Amino acid sequence: MGVEAEKAENIRMIRDSASAVAKRGDLRRIRRLRGTSQGFDRAVWQSMCDLGWVGLRVGEEQGGAGFGMLELCALAEELGAALTPEPLIPCAMAVGLVDDSVRREVLAGTRIVIPAWQDHSDYRGQFDGARVEGGRLYGCKRFVPLALGADDFLVTTPDNPVLVSRQAAGLSVEPFATQDGGHVATLRFDGVLGEPMRQDPVRALEEATLATAAYLLGVIEGALALTLDYLKVRRQFDAPIGSFQALQHRMVDLSLQAALTRASVESAAAALDGGATGDALRAAVSRAKARASDAALTVTRQAIQLHGGIGYTDECDIGLYLHKAMVTAPAYGGGAPHRRRCSNLLNEQGEL
Amino acid sequence: MNFVPPTPQEIDALSDEEFRTAVRRFLADRHPPHLRNPPKRLHWGEARDWYMILARHGWLAPGWPRQYGGMGLSAAKQLIYVDEFERFGAARLPDHGIVLLGPLLIRHGSDEQKARFLPKILAGEHIWCQGYSEPNAGSDLASLRTEAVLDGDEWVINGQKTWTTLAQDANWIFLLVRTSRTGRKQEGISFLLAPMDSPGIAVRPILNIHRHDEFCEVFFDNVRVPRGNLVGEIDRGWSMAKALLGFERIFLGSPRQSAHALNRLRLLALHLGVWGDPVFRDRYTQLALDLADHNALFESFADRLRRGETLGPDVSFLKIHQSELFQRITDLMIEVAADHGGLLDPIDANPDLDPAGLFLTARPATIYGGASEVQRNILAKSLLGLPS
Repeated sequence: MGVEAEKAENIRMIRDSASAVAKRGDLRRIRRLRGTSQGFDRAVWQSMCDLGWVGLRVGEEQGGAGFGMLELCALAEELGAALTPEPLIPCAMAVGLVDDSVRREVLAGTRIVIPAWQDHSDYRGQFDGARVEGGRLYGCKRFVPLALGADDFLVTTPDNPVLVSRQAAGLSVEPFATQDGGHVATLRFDGVLGEPMRQDPVRALEEATLATAAYLLGVIEGALALTLDYLKVRRQFDAPIGSFQALQHRMVDLSLQAALTRASVESAAAALDGGATGDALRAAVSRAKARASDAALTVTRQAIQLHGGIGYTDECDIGLYLHKAMVTAPAYGGGAPHRRRCSNLLNEQGEL
Repeated sequence: MNFVPPTPQEIDALSDEEFRTAVRRFLADRHPPHLRNPPKRLHWGEARDWYMILARHGWLAPGWPRQYGGMGLSAAKQLIYVDEFERFGAARLPDHGIVLLGPLLIRHGSDEQKARFLPKILAGEHIWCQGYSEPNAGSDLASLRTEAVLDGDEWVINGQKTWTTLAQDANWIFLLVRTSRTGRKQEGISFLLAPMDSPGIAVRPILNIHRHDEFCEVFFDNVRVPRGNLVGEIDRGWSMAKALLGFERIFLGSPRQSAHALNRLRLLALHLGVWGDPVFRDRYTQLALDLADHNALFESFADRLRRGETLGPDVSFLKIHQSELFQRITDLMIEVAADHGGLLDPIDANPDLDPAGLFLTARPATIYGGASEVQRNILAKSLLGLPS
């Protein structure tokens, strides 16, 4: 089988197996998990690890699947369409950065390691906030996703990242509930002992950013599917509201944004799989994330509007998509910071 | 001028990349330099030299089968041909015969019609214009009223066409005419060919707001053409004409117009000293990202063609997005140009600094080739399955 055909087959398999765990259109599990202390289901997490998902990008010789970004993005999209809360993207970022013995446990599902890289809220200063002095960690990290479900954190610093147990002395974890029923946390380090890890997290952070764009693509597709069904069924003025031209045009425009997001994410993933590095990699990732973030908010906002009054109820599923977009669009940087990064990457012709 | 362009047969042996290089060399060597990126559509007199250069080398019709004198290029190479021509800013020819009528005759014409008309298109002897739209039939083209009635061995045509591009330069016209009033309006339309010097044909150029006369009205007053000038079956003209735009629909969404405009926007901003302004840069960058994403979307459709798949209704996304992006870019040009945007002539007589001109050129982009609103109507039904 040629390389392209093999990739297509991998992606088909991933999408198939995802449908067993991440059921599109059935959000009862999502609703039940809202407001729970961990925000996700450890048993479902175990299934994901058993399926090899957290190690999708890890090399085969290290116990992973050795797949590319196209495959990871396909998986992320399926998870996004079902609003899946399990921390696959953060853990997939961490698993390639930890040492062998830790990695084995993460791949097995017995240890959840979540990166704590962020200090500011707009994708600046990825290695700010925390530093090692005299062998101990000091400082602060913010917006760490699902921190109360973590066993360990992988904390980025100006030097090596440091693996820190959630139970470590001197570490405080302050959770903040998020719109989608989960939480993020502020971590404060006061002389915390941890293990330095040796891998540079820069590339892994870019991949997590692109995977999040793919997750948002799933959110967009899920919201559109729900809305399209509603337009065909809901009747007012003796007609299905989907027959009204203004709504038809709006749906076409939202579908166009979905198509642009897909093209952006998939071409970026293909570029990374094709060996893009440096500026080319950053441009591809930022372009896709900017598009996905902006489109996700536009689509989910308009989806509420297209549902009319019931779109504003908690009972209607469409609100769950808006909540997810509110949390995930700014994660790893939203439209503005990524556009800013692109602005500095334009070539001599002013093109990206 | 040592470069000899490869013949269609020689092109078969070239890889796609080698062909791309050959196209670039051909354009660099042979395209008249003063005709690059013409601000307005060229008339036949201005375009003839370039037409004949292409004709001489057999490079006029990339999509026609070789047996009819075309290049017979693969989908991949056709995409390269168009991409390189557009990237170079090659002048667009009066190309209705090459792009529209030729493929229609190849598919639906009689052997006699193919033998009679196809070679003359390739020789530049027949220059065709397209008689479709009418004053009362624009977006609703099927409601056209120009009529053809059979009288003995001749069709008698009465009516009026409008928006006929370069009719004043053409010596032949292909037109959709009404041949039946029973049944659905689409089912009473036929496809006729007429020489422009027929008695009863009058051409009146239309001056547009860009002060150009590329479009015309064409009047038919008891114009007689031989019975054999009907193409295909009577009353089947509508479906024949609709089926034509298969592969070609991708080109309606080609990114080149927007890429050209974005480049001119940057040059304008540099000239006016606003390129470093962060507010401008953010808005410019958004447009650059829109263009990059459009390119990715275009390539996804091109990939389908290269794999031999047919295009679905979602190809219309390309035309909608490209034309509206083109307009957003020229909107920002006009805004940044301020008072310069109200002048008639380019800034400093520099054709690259013509915000007003590009802004006006962008106006009809969302109207021709299927107006944006109509495209959305069609997509809503054919792609999304929304009810009428």
